[in-house]
Amino acid sequence: MLGTYFYHEIIRKTVVSFGTLFNQIYVKHNDANSDVESEIKVPLAYGPAQKFLARLEQQADLNRAVQINLPRMSFEMNSISYDPTRKVSVTQTFKAVDDNTRVKKVYMPVPYNLGFELNILTKLNDDALQILEQILPYFQPSFNVTVELIDSIGEKRDIPVVLDNISFQDDYEGDFSTRRALIYTLQFTAKTYLFGPIADSTEGIIRKVQVDYYTDTNQLSAKRQVRYTATPQARKDYDNDTGALLTEAVDTSETIISLNDTSGLSVGGRVIIDSEIMKITNLTSTSMTVKRGYDSTIAAEHANGTKLNVLSTADDSRIVVGDDFGFNESLDFFESGADFSPTRKVDL
Amino acid sequence: MALNPFFLQGSQSEQRLVQELINEQLRMYGVDVTYIPRKIVNKDTIFNEIESSKFDDNYTIEAYVNTYEGHSGAGDILTKFGMSLRDELTITISKERYDDFIASFLESESDDEIILSSRPREGDLVYFPLGQRLFEVKFVEHEDPFYQLGKNYVYQLKCELFEYEDEVIDTTIGEIDTQIKEEGYITTLQLIGIGQTATASALINSGYVREVFLNNDGNGYTSTPVIQFDDAPTGGSTATAVAITTSRGGVASIKEILITNAGSGYTVAPNINIYSGGGTGAAATCSIETSNKGVVSIAVDDGGSGYPTIPTVTIAQPSVGAVATATTGIGGTVASLTLVNAGVAYAQAPVVTIASPVGSGTTATATATIGVGGTVTSLTIVDAGSGYGSDPAVTIDNSDSIKDPTLAVRAVAKAEISSGNIVTAIRIVNPGIGYTEAPTVTISNPPLVSGSGVFQFNELITGSTSGTTARVKEWNSTTNTMKISIIDGYFVPGETVVGSASSATYAVGSYSSDDTYNKYTDNDEIETEADLILDFTESNPFGTY
Repeated sequence: MLGTYFYHEIIRKTVVSFGTLFNQIYVKHNDANSDVESEIKVPLAYGPAQKFLARLEQQADLNRAVQINLPRMSFEMNSISYDPTRKVSVTQTFKAVDDNTRVKKVYMPVPYNLGFELNILTKLNDDALQILEQILPYFQPSFNVTVELIDSIGEKRDIPVVLDNISFQDDYEGDFSTRRALIYTLQFTAKTYLFGPIADSTEGIIRKVQVDYYTDTNQLSAKRQVRYTATPQARKDYDNDTGALLTEAVDTSETIISLNDTSGLSVGGRVIIDSEIMKITNLTSTSMTVKRGYDSTIAAEHANGTKLNVLSTADDSRIVVGDDFGFNESLDFFESGADFSPTRKVDL
Repeated sequence: MALNPFFLQGSQSEQRLVQELINEQLRMYGVDVTYIPRKIVNKDTIFNEIESSKFDDNYTIEAYVNTYEGHSGAGDILTKFGMSLRDELTITISKERYDDFIASFLESESDDEIILSSRPREGDLVYFPLGQRLFEVKFVEHEDPFYQLGKNYVYQLKCELFEYEDEVIDTTIGEIDTQIKEEGYITTLQLIGIGQTATASALINSGYVREVFLNNDGNGYTSTPVIQFDDAPTGGSTATAVAITTSRGGVASIKEILITNAGSGYTVAPNINIYSGGGTGAAATCSIETSNKGVVSIAVDDGGSGYPTIPTVTIAQPSVGAVATATTGIGGTVASLTLVNAGVAYAQAPVVTIASPVGSGTTATATATIGVGGTVTSLTIVDAGSGYGSDPAVTIDNSDSIKDPTLAVRAVAKAEISSGNIVTAIRIVNPGIGYTEAPTVTISNPPLVSGSGVFQFNELITGSTSGTTARVKEWNSTTNTMKISIIDGYFVPGETVVGSASSATYAVGSYSSDDTYNKYTDNDEIETEADLILDFTESNPFGTY
C-alpha cells in the first residue's frame, strides 16, 4: 500500500542546513600584550560516523602523538517527532511545476520536528564562551533558514531552528586521575516538512467552458438568452484518420490543392499538412480549395505525396496537458426559459 | 616517646646509597624520555586558565616505565568529537637527576613563563620515544615508595596523551616537533613562485564607440547579461562589451559596461541591446567618435604570471608634448630657447622648467604661449638665470590635465586576471581620443618577480602588508603551496611573506582559511552542500558561506 519509491533527502538537507549555521565560528587566543596570537576556525562535523572509517581516517598513524585536537564542535540529530501544531488538512494539495515545466501535484507536507544537539568540546572555558557568544545572539529563540527541500519542483521552505536548551559540563573537581572535561551542549529543534511522493497532476485540461447570460440578475424570473461555449481545439492530428496524399507539390501561395482522395474531408473543416493548418472552402473529388496558413500557422511548401490529416472533434478530445491547442467558440441564442443543470449537464 | 637512639632510621650516607642505586637502576632499565616544560604566554586570571603556552625547551632524562605491560587508560575510543586516544603512561624519574639536570636550568628562566621550577610540573610534556608520542603530565606522585630510609628518591609522573590546540612546540628536536606536523588547525597558503610581467598591444581606429552610458542598471540578474551593439556599417567592425554586475540588498544589477572592442566605421551611434542573464530593465546608450582615432581594442600578447591582484594598465598619452632646447650665453645665463616641437592639443599654456645650474647660480625661468590648435607658439625667457656652464635641459609640461579634452584624452583600461594569476583580458574603460599611432600599453609588474629561498618547518612567517604571522607546517616548492598553522590573521593576496629563520621570500597568491587536512573537520564539505540548497537571497547574519 505504501511502497511508492521516493526519497527527497529532506532530513539530510535539514541536517546540512543546521550544520552550516556553525561552520564559520572562530576562536582567538591572545598573547600577554593582548595581541591575537592565533585564530582557529572551529572544526565542525556530524558526530555519528562509521567506526572503521573514523579510525582509518582520523588515526591513520596508529601511534598518533596527541589525544585529540581542540576546540571541536559536533552535531547530531537525536529525535524526530510529528508536530501537530503545524498540521494542515491532509487532503490539501498544491501545484508545482518541475524542470520540464510539467505540472506536478503535491500533497501538503507533513510537519516534523527534528531535534539536534550541538556539542562544543574545548580545552579552555574561555574558548567555549567565545564559541557560545558567536552563536547565541542569533537565536531569539529561533533562526530561520530557507532551504530548497525538493529540488525538482523548486520547493523552498523557511525552516525555523529553535534553540531549546543549553547545558554544560565542567568536571574540574576530584583527583588528578581524570582530566578536566569542558563540554557545552545546545539543544535545537528544526521545524522541517516531509513531503510525500510528487505525482504528475491527475487533472487534464479544461474540456469545456460554458457561460450563460441572463437578461436580469434575478435568475428565477429572467430568461437565459445567450450561451457562450469554448472548447479546446487541436492544432495537431492525433488519430491519423485519412489516407489522403497530395498529388502535386504545393508552394506557399497555392490555394487549390490536388489530392488522391477527398472522401474524409468536408467544406469548413480543417486539415493539417506537415505543420501547416488549412481551412477547406471548397471540395471536388480530386482537389480542395483552402485558406492557407490558418490558425496562425505559416504557409509552407509541401512535397508531392505528403500525407494530409483532418483536424476533427476526435482530435480535440485527445488533447493532453502540455500540448499546444486553440479554442472552438460558439454563441447560442435562446428564447425558452429553460435553465442549465450543472449536475445533469443538460438544459432542463 | 622518643625513637630508639641505637637504631638509625636512615643515615644520610644510606639515603645517598639508595639514591645512587635508584639512579643506576633507572639508567640501566629505563628509557630516555624528553621532558618539555610548559612556558606560559598568557594567563586568564579570572577563569584561571593558561590561554597560550609554548614548549621550546627540551631536557633528556632517563625514566622507568611503570606500566610496562602497556598503556593504561581507556585506549582508542570513538567519541562524538571523533577519535580520542586515551592512552595513559606512568613513568618514574629520579628526584636527584631532576633537581640536577632540569630544575637548575628552569630556575634561570623568566618567572612569567615558568611559575615553578623546583619539581616536575603538571601540564608539562614528556616525549616518549618508543611510541613517538607526546604525553602531558597529569599528576606528580612524590611519595611512592613512601619515605624509604626517611626520604623520597623518585617522582612518579602520571601522564595522558596531550590534547593539542595551538601550542607552539619548537624544541629544536626534529623528531619531536614533527609529531604535530599534521595536528591542529592547518590552512593553505598558495604562494607565487615566478612572476612575469604581462604585455599587451593596442589598436586604434576611428568611428568607434566613444562612451557607453548606462541609463538603467536593471535588476534581478542571476548571471551576466549579454551586451550587443548594432552592427557596424560595411567595412567597419562591430563594437563588443561586457557587463559587470553587482549586488546590493539582494538585488543584482549592472554595475558598469566595459568595452572589449570599441568597433570602427560607425557613422551613427549604435543601439545597445541588453538581454539574457535573468534580469530586466537594463538600458544603455553610447556616443561615437567619427573623426579622431581612439584605442578600439587591446590584445594581451603575454598574460604574464604571478598576478594575485589585478594589475594597473597604463596607456600612453595620445598627444605629443612640446620640446625645446636652451643655449647659454655670456656670463652663464640662458641666452635663448629654441622650440624643437610645438606639441599639440594644449588647452592652456604649459609650465616651462629649465634645469638648475650645476654648482652655484640661479635657475632660469621661462613661459610658453599657445596658439590655435593647442600648439606652443613661442617661449619667453623671464629670468635668464646665472652660473650655467653648459646648455641646460628644458622640460615643457605635457600632463593630461592641461590638454584639450576634445582633442586629446588618454585611454583608460582595466585588466582581468584568472584564478591562475594570469592576465586574461584587458577591458577598455575609456577609449580616449586623438591618437595618431597605436600607443604603448604598460601593465604593472606582479608583486614579486621571483620567489626565493626554502621555508623551514616550524619557522615563523610574516606577511608584509597584513602583518599576519603563522608557523610553517609544510612547504612544497614544486607547487608553491604551504601548509601553515597558528595563524593570527588573514594573508592578503599580493603581499610578500618572509620566513624568520630561512629568510625565504615569496608573494601570496591566495589564502584559504579552510582546514582541508584534518580528517575530522567537515566545515568545507557542509558548506559546499549547503550552498546548493540554502537560499541566501536575503542577507545572512552569519556572514558569507
